Amino acid sequence: MLNYINAITEEKSYSGLQMKEIKPVMKLIVRGKKREFLSAIGKSLNLLLPTEANTSTRSEKLTALWLSPDEWIIYSNKISDTDNNNYEIENLLTKNITKTNLGAITDVTDQFVLINLKGDKIFDLFQTGSPFNFNNFRNKKGSVIQTILAKIDVIIHNENQNEINLFVRRSFSHHLFSWMNDSASRL
Amino acid sequence: MFIINCPYCGEREQSEFKAGGEAHIVRPKQPTELSDDEWAEYLFMRKNIKGIQFERWVHTHGCRKWFNMIRDTSNDEIKAVYKMGDKPPIK
Repeated sequence: MLNYINAITEEKSYSGLQMKEIKPVMKLIVRGKKREFLSAIGKSLNLLLPTEANTSTRSEKLTALWLSPDEWIIYSNKISDTDNNNYEIENLLTKNITKTNLGAITDVTDQFVLINLKGDKIFDLFQTGSPFNFNNFRNKKGSVIQTILAKIDVIIHNENQNEINLFVRRSFSHHLFSWMNDSASRL
Repeated sequence: MFIINCPYCGEREQSEFKAGGEAHIVRPKQPTELSDDEWAEYLFMRKNIKGIQFERWVHTHGCRKWFNMIRDTSNDEIKAVYKMGDKPPIK
């Protein structure tokens, strides 16, 4: 049994911006190139991986984000059981993908921290520390982007109007969160 | 600061990328038969021209894929961007 320790303990709220960590959420990186790989994932999860750049797909339980032409991150929409770090989906994919040499599955649940941001000032915050132009991104629900925020690598998923899921590596998460707080306090 | 059109992700800012030196340098087929000078020529010598240069770039903070770029080194104007293994669209 894993002890789930929060990387970020506080939940912060500003006018037009709320930030909090969501955990525990299962996160898997899947890699593969072959067409059989895509169809095997589709069959196993009932979820087609997005093949168009900077997009995502969603099923009832899972969301898949495009990271690169042969790499995706899959995460669970709901928080998972805290008593166990064994994921049914990972086991299923290991059986159907890894053992048949179609691709690779990596559990990155503890590697990435998921920060959920809500409010209409999210992009004002991002503007202060990212070189990416969010003008089209903010109106396109489901779009995904990997970029830098305050010089830290992040994956940003536009989940809903004024709701963003942000993935950051655990070791950077504390610094990023304090930077976001500092920046948000001056918006 | 300039915008690079990554062949996989689309337009992104230059700070997301890293330059990887001159492109289209072919490794000699029989390295053991080369003299030291010829090997050094392949290994170290780069053109570093002022003008149109063929380069390799990597989208480090994005898709992490390598690609080729034709860039004018005097004014940073990007003439073309194409995937690894593709032929250059202009000579």
